[in-house]
Amino acid sequence: MSDGVSPFDVAVTGVGLVTPAGIGVPASWERILLGAPAATYDPELAGMPVDFSARVPGFDADKLLDRRVTWRTDRYTHLALVAAREAIADAGLDPATWNGARVGVVVGSALGGTATYEQQHDVLREDGVDGVSPMAIPMMAVSMVAGYLAVDTGARGPNLVTAAACASGTTAIGTARELLRSGRCDVALAGGTEAGLTPLVISAFTRMGTLSRRVDDPAGASRPFDALRDGFVAAEGAGFLVLERPEHAQARRARVRARIIGYGASADAHHATAPDPSGAGVERAIRMALTDARLRPERIDHVNAHGTSTRLNDVIEADVLRRIFGERPAVTSVKGVTGHSLGAAGAIEAACTVLTVQYGVVPPTANLDSQDPGIDVDVVAKEPRTMPIQAAISNSCGFGGQNAVLVVGAA
Amino acid sequence: MKDLLSRVEMLLCTRFGVGKEEFQADAVLADLDLDSLTLVEFGLVAEKEFGIRVGADEISPNDTVADLVQLIHGKGMAA
Repeated sequence: MSDGVSPFDVAVTGVGLVTPAGIGVPASWERILLGAPAATYDPELAGMPVDFSARVPGFDADKLLDRRVTWRTDRYTHLALVAAREAIADAGLDPATWNGARVGVVVGSALGGTATYEQQHDVLREDGVDGVSPMAIPMMAVSMVAGYLAVDTGARGPNLVTAAACASGTTAIGTARELLRSGRCDVALAGGTEAGLTPLVISAFTRMGTLSRRVDDPAGASRPFDALRDGFVAAEGAGFLVLERPEHAQARRARVRARIIGYGASADAHHATAPDPSGAGVERAIRMALTDARLRPERIDHVNAHGTSTRLNDVIEADVLRRIFGERPAVTSVKGVTGHSLGAAGAIEAACTVLTVQYGVVPPTANLDSQDPGIDVDVVAKEPRTMPIQAAISNSCGFGGQNAVLVVGAA
Repeated sequence: MKDLLSRVEMLLCTRFGVGKEEFQADAVLADLDLDSLTLVEFGLVAEKEFGIRVGADEISPNDTVADLVQLIHGKGMAA
């Protein structure tokens, strides 16, 4: 195996981000590079044991989208529409003129329209069957976001949602790459979206014991790889990439930000929620992705880690990285800034990895004040690190042991 | 009737995103994106707003804004 990056790999020509760090790529990327945590007290969680989260600041769907669309769609679709439209514009594509039959849509989401589900359940209990909205199913079904993206853009190619817990967004991008490589479409909108900051979801995660309890210091709560980490911060958001077959991007002289050159996926087959302490599943996914990219481990310059800030994930993931890559790659977790947006996280982080590779700058891991002595990898802290990057990986490890890994190569 | 017209207009514009310039008496509901499911939703909203029940079989996307207003009017909602 040698350098696997080639002009024959799937091109990333557009990026869109709607994250707790900001609306749009410039705002999100700036705050992520600053390492400024977005988590804050959340009035909608008032009175709950964990009353903070990382929401997208100032996201007004009615202003960013058409009220005709917003009233009949859940917030998880609103976030996706805004991020996907940004990615399409960034790619220089125009849905009014593209050949929609050759445009696919693959979206990752873990939960779908949970806010609608909870709200309509309240209506059912209070007003009975006749009070339930006829739009409830099309608002809450996890598949609907892909359908609405098709309606919005005229993308009439393969259209699906991947649900793989916290690896959903990564799985979506990996799956979209397969669709492009097999010739089923020329362009793919691939990403992830999540809007699960509802009382029921937060209660359930609280009961699982996975959330940080740092209620007196929300900004310091998401601290991947830090010795004092105590759980993740629940977040919302969406991230999208426009992927293209290389010849399609070349024919229209599109700017290529980076390339998706490898994908690996695996299952721990271990436990419903706890990661396999051996990290064997994560390791297989990473090695599969490297083989797919025809890259030796020493060619990986950077790792955008899953890095949730839970006690278990960070130490197991770091052990695997150390085993495969040694101390060489610069590791970061943007979740210190963004929190953990579940099914959207992998897509947001793939977008960040694309920007990292393109601009040669690794964002710092926020709140990394004192690295866990049991974590022996080179984690970028405090300041962004400028360095040339030819290839990087983006990791995602979901509940249920679902692991997905992308390899991103320089354009 | 004029007051009812403006209340329906307000409802369709704020709740369902119909443009004020589109709200014309002869406008066909389907052209305003008021499809059959939306009209069921409209029934829910109308019940809260006007205290009347609008059944799914009483109005169709092929009807006009004037038909809708007349229906509500006919259920006792005078100006």
